Amino acid sequence: MPRDYAGAWEPSVGHYFYLMLLTPFLYQCQQQPDALALQEQDRRVSYRQLLQQAQTIAAALQAKGIQPGQPVAIHLDRGIDAASALFGVLLSGACYVPLDLKNPVARLSFIIADARVRVVIGSRARAPAWLDDSLWLDIASCNEATPATVETPAESLAAILYTSGSTGQPRGVAISHRAISAFTSWASELLRLTPADRIASSAPFFFDLSTFDLYAVLGAGASLHFVPSGLPMAPARLSAWLNERAISGWYTVPSLLAFLTYKGNLAQTPLAGLRFLIFAGEVLPTPALIDLAASLPQTALYNFFGPTETNVCCYWPVARERLVAEQTIPIGLPAAGCELTIDAETGELWVRGPTLASGYWRDGRVQSFMSADGWYATGDRASLEQNEYRFHGRLGRMLKCSGYRVEPAEIETIVNAIPGVKACAVIGMDDPTAGQRPALALVFEQEASIGEIRKVLNRQLPAYMQPSRYLVMEDLPKLANGKLDLQQINNLFETQL
Amino acid sequence: MKETLKNFIFAELIYHEDPVSFGDEDNLLDAGLDSMGIMRLIMFAEKEFGVTLPDTEIEPDNVGSLNSLESWIRRSGYAG
Repeated sequence: MPRDYAGAWEPSVGHYFYLMLLTPFLYQCQQQPDALALQEQDRRVSYRQLLQQAQTIAAALQAKGIQPGQPVAIHLDRGIDAASALFGVLLSGACYVPLDLKNPVARLSFIIADARVRVVIGSRARAPAWLDDSLWLDIASCNEATPATVETPAESLAAILYTSGSTGQPRGVAISHRAISAFTSWASELLRLTPADRIASSAPFFFDLSTFDLYAVLGAGASLHFVPSGLPMAPARLSAWLNERAISGWYTVPSLLAFLTYKGNLAQTPLAGLRFLIFAGEVLPTPALIDLAASLPQTALYNFFGPTETNVCCYWPVARERLVAEQTIPIGLPAAGCELTIDAETGELWVRGPTLASGYWRDGRVQSFMSADGWYATGDRASLEQNEYRFHGRLGRMLKCSGYRVEPAEIETIVNAIPGVKACAVIGMDDPTAGQRPALALVFEQEASIGEIRKVLNRQLPAYMQPSRYLVMEDLPKLANGKLDLQQINNLFETQL
Repeated sequence: MKETLKNFIFAELIYHEDPVSFGDEDNLLDAGLDSMGIMRLIMFAEKEFGVTLPDTEIEPDNVGSLNSLESWIRRSGYAG
């Protein structure tokens, strides 16, 4: 089946026509160079300025010897500089690896080594002391220049996004220009984005949600407004900001929308210009969605669904009249030209289509995760009811903690390496704040303390991966076939509460 | 009051920090307190201390540490 969206943007702009993911943006640069592209606090950047800054960075990367397809890490928080860096990387023909600066150094340096990153772009203010100097590129040190044009075929990699890996270490999902374009061009059409739109952006660039903000929004000639970093913790000021900025659309996570619904003073803050809200990454509890829909009667609401490997593969335009508090909402219909099917035996959701990532990034190469005929088995349990898909949780061990994927194996690998630990197992416990939290069952070989374990985990893993409960056991319970009895461990934690 | 808040936060919202060594000025947001956590914390504090904490005052400056939480709750009319 033809899955190649190459050519979708073809009759386009000068010598950049082959830069597929940025082609719509480059077209807008020609059409309306002085229109507002990005705004962060009071700093405003036009399409022309953004392109110029991206070209400057691309030229600096090329001067550092970057070759097409090589990974470049972004050591910057979301914002104008980070967006310019991402675009610069793409113009140079390389692919970007956005870092989560909240990660401990151990995890960041693992990712930089695992991705075989050739350059790390950042700013002097937050230069990582632990990084090899030869990799560093200070964004402020780049001098204005025009990069050499490079050919970027549709299948070349645009981004490597790291998530938790079932192999016990962070794992990079390698995503092509074609895959991101397939999603963003679909989303742009679904939401009828125009240059008049003013879109809020709060997703970190290491989450795939950000591809909508960067490529659908700027490809449509609209402006992107970065939500100031303190605002997600100040819901009334957040709604006032959305109102004052006349934001017309926002793709964000359910926890933030629930906070806004209940604490955002929406009754006093009309948000009349807000055309749409999209949410993804977690399940939005239906009672919160009902209240949100009532507060924003004019706003179209969308539930997007899909793991990083597929970007968005399924979506549901929220039908307000069908919302029932006791019922979870559907994940809906296939999105962006994807095909979905459910494995009859296991109930697992399988996806194939143009938004699929190329594979996992391993040893400097792409390793496919697809079957011979192009299907990706998501590990999600789903059902099909009246032509709508519904999500029923995970088949495997993966947890979703505060919106982040957490593979128990990644925590177990670190714990098993601690002297004195004989065995361990991580399970997920339901949690009203985070959705799920890891819980750690341990068997000690010799005297060791939980305090010590906690110290090591704090040093190596981000906050959302830290176990919420510890249980020291004589031995881990096993099933008749010798495998760990995770259900039994789960029960022990439950009865411990 | 700080003890009550601390017990709730470290039993229900943040698990990985050692409550004993966590100081009254230490940053709760950096320790992992997120928007859902703040919502539950406010519900708890309003019930426990019989105050109303206005939505418009939910700010990093008011929820960022045990000290700032305490002074926010006292400003909001806690008579205890």
